[in-house]
Amino acid sequence: MTAWQAWGLWAAEWIALLVIFTGLLQTFFYVVQLGFAGVALGRRPPIARASLLWRRYADEAPAIAVLAPAFNEEVTIVESVNSLLALHYPDFEVIVINDGSKDRTLETVIGHFGLSRVERFHDVAVKHNPIRGLYASPRLPRLLVVDKENGGKSDALNAGINVARAPLFCSIDADSLLEPDALLRAVRPFVEEPLKTVAVGGTIRIANGSRIEAGQVLDIRMPRNFLALVQIVEYLRAFLMARLALSAMQALTVISGAFGLFQRHAAMEVGGYSHGTVGEDMDLVMKLHGLFRERRQPYRIDFIPDPVCWTEVPESLVILGRQRARWQRGALEVFSRHKKMLFNPRYGRIGFLGMGHVLIVDVLGPIVEVLGYFLVPLLWSLGLLAADYLLAFLAITFTFGIFVSTATLILEEAELRRFPKKRDLAILTAVAVVENFGYRQLANFWRLRGWWQFLRKQQGWGTMTRKGFARP
Amino acid sequence: MSGLAALWFLSLGIAAVALLIMFGLLLARMVLGWTGRARDVEKKRIVPLLLGSRPHGKLRGGGRGDLLATLLVELIQLVRGSDRDRFVEAATRLGVPERLRHNLNSGSPRVRLAAAEALAEFADEESVERLHAALRDRNSDVRLSAALSLASVDRTPPARELVDLLGIGTRENSLLTVGLFRDIAARRPNEIKALILDDSVPANAKASAIEALSASADYALVPLIASLALSSDSEDPALSRYLRALGAFAHPAGEKAVKRGLGSPRWDVRAAAAEAAGKIGLIGLGTQLREALADREWWVRFRAGEALARMGTDGAALLRQAAAQAPEPGRTAARLTMAERGIV
Repeated sequence: MTAWQAWGLWAAEWIALLVIFTGLLQTFFYVVQLGFAGVALGRRPPIARASLLWRRYADEAPAIAVLAPAFNEEVTIVESVNSLLALHYPDFEVIVINDGSKDRTLETVIGHFGLSRVERFHDVAVKHNPIRGLYASPRLPRLLVVDKENGGKSDALNAGINVARAPLFCSIDADSLLEPDALLRAVRPFVEEPLKTVAVGGTIRIANGSRIEAGQVLDIRMPRNFLALVQIVEYLRAFLMARLALSAMQALTVISGAFGLFQRHAAMEVGGYSHGTVGEDMDLVMKLHGLFRERRQPYRIDFIPDPVCWTEVPESLVILGRQRARWQRGALEVFSRHKKMLFNPRYGRIGFLGMGHVLIVDVLGPIVEVLGYFLVPLLWSLGLLAADYLLAFLAITFTFGIFVSTATLILEEAELRRFPKKRDLAILTAVAVVENFGYRQLANFWRLRGWWQFLRKQQGWGTMTRKGFARP
Repeated sequence: MSGLAALWFLSLGIAAVALLIMFGLLLARMVLGWTGRARDVEKKRIVPLLLGSRPHGKLRGGGRGDLLATLLVELIQLVRGSDRDRFVEAATRLGVPERLRHNLNSGSPRVRLAAAEALAEFADEESVERLHAALRDRNSDVRLSAALSLASVDRTPPARELVDLLGIGTRENSLLTVGLFRDIAARRPNEIKALILDDSVPANAKASAIEALSASADYALVPLIASLALSSDSEDPALSRYLRALGAFAHPAGEKAVKRGLGSPRWDVRAAAAEAAGKIGLIGLGTQLREALADREWWVRFRAGEALARMGTDGAALLRQAAAQAPEPGRTAARLTMAERGIV
């Protein structure tokens, strides 16, 4: 064997070991998360009926401002606002922020609800583009519309934070459908741990395929589109396993922009949502961690497994790929902004567990896995790697993936049983297996595209075409 | 076999086991589906019996105990008056309280919590005794639920003992403790008042007790709360709760404490003091409130403006003055408060 050959063998083995080790580390994280999620589900309070929640919390629940940013939502704005005004919560206001829409969103909402221009004394501590006007009506004291110059979702939310007068605010996406008792469920940590709780996230479920009327999901059905089905399994992994577990470890790094409840004052102390990142929801959570860790002040950022919000997911490869690349870019931007927290003892478990998780899963994960797809089979076919390396690589990319997805489904079925039909469960089990062959690899390529966009400092959200919720 | 090959076989093994478990759960779902249908049938049979539309039917306990317990508790919580009494009687006859008491021994905190909440509907001695035992449960949610259930039937131990058992103000800071104290105060107000006087009671527990009593219109409490507010450390987080309570009483005896609160280094205390000043109508603090319109914290500016707007013509005059002469941000605060309140 020549020196070059020996070096080649040595290099091939080390590359394969790096790929396998990173994959194993990810799998280890997932297994630990499954354990924590299982314990957290076992310990959670029973899911109470809305009437009981009302009775329990009505007197003590703090006021909430629901912030609904709207950009070119002319067609759906009235239904969305009606749905928000129908929420069951003792003390809340709905603040619709028209983020410089180019269509007739503002005129539609003003005309339909009979609003007129008002003056309101509001905060100016958080930066955002100028507010052009505020609109309200004495007939609808819960509704306030903010008209501002366009600045993006985070800018619109910042305007909403300034205008809000409640101690808590709930940020939602324009296309989020909230369960009527979503606020009552999500406020629980703020009632039970009022001195410590600064933010709470809730479970987002996929509404594609379900029957929706007047802004409410009336009949939960499985989507027929394969990509939407795969995303159901992905969302289960993300919410039921990862977020629930990270919350139990008090190392939650993200609260979805589709639904999150925040202590207004704490959010203002960190300057509200950041501009210049597509990961503004994750960034806000990381800033809150940073603030309280640096002050050495006890705090909690929690996740509740109760279903509180429904969303529509992309059903086409192009749009899904764009969304995933954007998510990846957002995670990298936030990681880069908060890198000083990584493995920094000052930030405790958020530095080690939270940021460590982001490093392994989001930063290194896609690069190393895609590298493995190319190199491990190639090196094995060239005779530079023993078959055992190939098998170990297959284990971390396929079979452990099947285990993690199936185990999440087991958790769902054993603890929550939210899929009413057994046929749905059988379909999801099949999807949990099939997604590892083709979809997982594609998702990693999309994430690599996100990496590339991050390196090129690409900005903006790209076009997100929505199919729209099924209407009767 | 090398470690790498073992990894492959291990992954195959655990994936296979997971799929087998899932398959088992699917089978169980099929069985549960049948049971679920049977439950629906049972539900349809039970409801009219409980509602009395088929008075000659016969209720059964036993096998469908969980369903009966859940259904009956739900029905009891939905109705009032004689219907409720009828359901409570039916539930007792069917052994629902026994089942709930049994569930208080469950290993699952979720089951214990549900049982502790549901037992509030039954005030029999045995249930009360079990709820008393649940005040020492290892899970704090179960302990608090047991206390709330006991309070709803006026069977809690003395409030002071409850503070220690639940760790109110130290381990337990839930806002639900205010409701707990309110329930106790409705029948035994002196116990809650005694908490305020007791030096050994933690500040947060005292604040909850004060909030619970703030709707009582017992003005004898005002000097007591005011003295607590005056003697508290200016950094004490409970101070803002004391001031809010003084505002709720709307009694001028709180003036000194409110005045001190307006100068606190904590913004939440200053905001609570401004709010209390407005609710009490302390026009004597008008100058300080006008100065508070320029506070660095918006909440304080907002509450100060709100307070002045509540104070009639004198407050409006101070707002006008600030809108015309005060430096920013006081000027904007005054101008917008006036615009919002329709003060010209």
